[in-house]
Amino acid sequence: MKAFNRRFILAVSVLTACAFQTYAQDPVSILWKVDKVIFAPKDKQGKVKMILKDKSGNEKIREAIMMQKGIDKKLYRYTKPESQVGVATLTLPGDETWLYMPTFGKPKKIDLLAKSQAFTGTDFSYEDMEPRTYSDRFIPKLMEVKETEYVLELIPKSAQSEYSRVIAHISKANSYPVLLEYFDKQKKKIKEATYVYEKIGPYWNAKEVTMTDLRKNHSTRTLMSEVKFDQGLGDDIFTVEKLKQ
Amino acid sequence: MDQIARYIIKYRWVTIVTVAVLTIFFSFQIKNLRLNPDVISSLPDTDPDAVLIKQISDEFTVNNMGMVIVQADDIFTSEVLEHLRLITDTLTMTPGVASVISLTNVTEISGGDEGLQIGKLVDAYDLPDTPEELAELRNRVYEKGTYTGTMISEDGTTTVIIFTLAEDFDVKTVARGIKQKTEALDLSEKIYFSGSPMMVTHISDVMIADLRRLIPIAFGLIVLILLMGFRSARGVIFPLLTTVIAIVWTIGIMALCGFEMSMISSDIPIILLAVCTAYTIHVMNKINQEREKNWQKATLKGLQYIILPVFLVALTTAIGFFSFVFGTYLNMIRDFGIFTALGTFFAFLLSIFFVPAIFSMLPSTAKTSFTLDDRIKKSYLSDNYLTPLHALLFKHPKYILSSWGILLLISLVGIFFIERSVDVKDYFKKSDSTRIAEEIMAEHFGGSKPIFVRFEGNMQSPEVLKTMVRSEEFMKESPYVNSTQSIAGLITQLNFALGNGRSIPDDQSQIEQLWFMLEGNELLRQFVTDELDKGIIISRFTSPDVKDKKEFGEKMRAFISANSTPDCKIEVTGMPFVDVTMDRSLINGQFKSVTVVVICVIIILSLILRSFWNGLFATIPIIVATLLLFGIMGFTGISLNIATVLVAAVAVGDGIGYSIHVISYFNHARKQGKDITKALHETIMVSGKAIVINVLSVAGGFLVLIFSNFVPLQHFGLLMAISMVGSSQGAMTLLPVILILVNRKKEAIIKKKLNESIQ
Repeated sequence: MKAFNRRFILAVSVLTACAFQTYAQDPVSILWKVDKVIFAPKDKQGKVKMILKDKSGNEKIREAIMMQKGIDKKLYRYTKPESQVGVATLTLPGDETWLYMPTFGKPKKIDLLAKSQAFTGTDFSYEDMEPRTYSDRFIPKLMEVKETEYVLELIPKSAQSEYSRVIAHISKANSYPVLLEYFDKQKKKIKEATYVYEKIGPYWNAKEVTMTDLRKNHSTRTLMSEVKFDQGLGDDIFTVEKLKQ
Repeated sequence: MDQIARYIIKYRWVTIVTVAVLTIFFSFQIKNLRLNPDVISSLPDTDPDAVLIKQISDEFTVNNMGMVIVQADDIFTSEVLEHLRLITDTLTMTPGVASVISLTNVTEISGGDEGLQIGKLVDAYDLPDTPEELAELRNRVYEKGTYTGTMISEDGTTTVIIFTLAEDFDVKTVARGIKQKTEALDLSEKIYFSGSPMMVTHISDVMIADLRRLIPIAFGLIVLILLMGFRSARGVIFPLLTTVIAIVWTIGIMALCGFEMSMISSDIPIILLAVCTAYTIHVMNKINQEREKNWQKATLKGLQYIILPVFLVALTTAIGFFSFVFGTYLNMIRDFGIFTALGTFFAFLLSIFFVPAIFSMLPSTAKTSFTLDDRIKKSYLSDNYLTPLHALLFKHPKYILSSWGILLLISLVGIFFIERSVDVKDYFKKSDSTRIAEEIMAEHFGGSKPIFVRFEGNMQSPEVLKTMVRSEEFMKESPYVNSTQSIAGLITQLNFALGNGRSIPDDQSQIEQLWFMLEGNELLRQFVTDELDKGIIISRFTSPDVKDKKEFGEKMRAFISANSTPDCKIEVTGMPFVDVTMDRSLINGQFKSVTVVVICVIIILSLILRSFWNGLFATIPIIVATLLLFGIMGFTGISLNIATVLVAAVAVGDGIGYSIHVISYFNHARKQGKDITKALHETIMVSGKAIVINVLSVAGGFLVLIFSNFVPLQHFGLLMAISMVGSSQGAMTLLPVILILVNRKKEAIIKKKLNESIQ
């Protein structure tokens, strides 16, 4: 009986391990886990420094305060350069984007019919900044399992996407993407984003993201600091009226 | 001369070794020579318009823009739109292409009080395909207005796909890639390419094709003519060998000194091949005439006579080429003049040092000595052309003179019909795709002659931007300016989209925040510098008429002087203004170069003849031949352009060589105590043969240029061939007649004086 029990326990263990392995290598699950990790905090706020670098090495620096609640509420309020102080962008559920320029006094809704547009002059497009989960936007396919990462091929669900596919290198350790390679409709690699993470409390945070536009040889490096999670940001912060403040 | 001739023979080995070493050295330099088909880089630094164009090219990304022109019965069909998308995608994928804008991917910014819409004119992956959708698209495009004349023609049959090239790629490689990939799509629409990168690459390809095709033709033709003239291997090998060596040295020095080969200088090899075989022909002809069993003796005797005339002929030809340095507008013509003159000089040196050095070491082919009569009688040419010509000269000198007089009068009338052309499209044949593309651009998209208005000041200042808007409105008052583009236009458009009216905001901080939306836009680099201290208005001028260009330039300059301030400095330039200067320089350059050559020729001939008046008389045939050339240009409609402006000076410089040979031989014969009749007979029979062979060879060489793909070079070749025939006939008919009449008069005076003294 004892022998049977040992054999039974061993068999269950092996089966569990196999099932777990299969589950772990399922691309949908891998992507689902990525979303779960990225959007784990209830809210997030911090300072963002954007360093825009052109092919000649000239740099432009912008700074903003970023606040995010859930998946689809995000606010950027610029604090640098001086001429852009107070300029703010607000994204709300339902693909709603608002732009506020203090000198004009009135927020304007931006109907982004073309999401390939650069997000406020950076190398990120509005599509890259879309407040939706990866699982919602892409159909994943496992390309390769490396020692420390999974390589997924992500096919955009929307035909409107500027990309034909995105190759995502996902860290096995924390389920965060470490490298995203973007391909245009002609299967030509046009952009790539690299991520550096740090753990703040229970959450992983991308403290440095560098997006490089390979066509323009132009890059945008974003550095996050003073990051706080779960501060109980209220919905009233993410309203058009509040943009003016 | 005797001493020089002896030294040439004595140090023949030194000459041969030196020539061999230099030829090997320069051959290795040729590989470093770069082609430069860009006309803009050839604009002179003395012209403020040209300097400003070059400065703008450095400051803004205006010269790296090209266009793919697509023509169909109707652009608004699903098939054509699909093809446009295909070309757009193909260009986007081509390495070195930075941006592509077409009807299928153009971004539309619109808006009003409600908000701002940023979208695309069409969804490239869900193109309109029903008649209703296509009609809706057509209406939207034409209602918007900004696409008409910039991206689509008013009749909807032609559209352009605009692309810019990345800065760190080779323009020609990218342009060739664009052409190759687009043509490989094998679409049913007519496709053309336009814009600076495509034009420059096309010129470069045509230059290479011309060189590959024309040099062997010129070579073959000259071989044939030399073979017919001399009927010996030596007669073919030596003229060609010396010319090829001269070409190698010239091109080698060009490369060594860092000069580039332009669309004009690419024909230096063909021109040298045509012109420079003459020197060796004359040297060989003279050595042959001195037929001696001892070849060294023959060479020495020949050289003693021939060095001076060949030197003078080469000198005048070189002066003809060098005269372009005076008064020429384009640097490429100045460089062409300098290096062709240098090539001529090398060919001369080789013909009097290298050819005799080799000749003196060869075994003699002569079996017996010939008398002069033997030499001048035994030939088809002598029997059928030279002897009858000589008879005619003495029989009817006045008829010959009158005939030339009539031709001269007709030519003088023709001169008044000469047209000038400075339009780049005229460089190409009517069937050439680049020329057709230029014509389409002129017809449907406001031409391709760019005008730039440069502003220096704070590009975010409302005052500067408002001055820009005013300048654009003023420019559009001209019937020849259809549209303008600038940063002021983009700011106005954005301000309007935000519901603030179609104007520049009065508040600079508003402009700065609108600018925030433009950041990252490729168009910015076209319109403003990174430092935002300079900006430009880009426009195009439709009229090819120099008068219209001049008038527009004057109005613009008046506007600028009234609106330019220390905080907003305005300048205007562009190809239409360069055309005006180039057009003026055609006349000035022509006048200056011909004057320089004619003065030099008169001085040289006066020195040979030891009389200013005789020198002047001897120049008459070449002046008449040149006027005849201008008359032909007037009557045939061959315009004065960057290449044909070269013809007159080269024609005088090279064509006077025939007169020099005639005069030199005539003087030589007279010194030997022969009377005028005998001296002239010998001159026609001996020099005439060399002249005829030389004319056939030179004219044949130049005629090869009619196969060139560049129209100005075709005309240059044709006119040079005509002028060679004209100047040689002038030297063999008009000049002897002048000599006969002048000497008859002299003899009559002498006779009269003798009679008077006897009485």
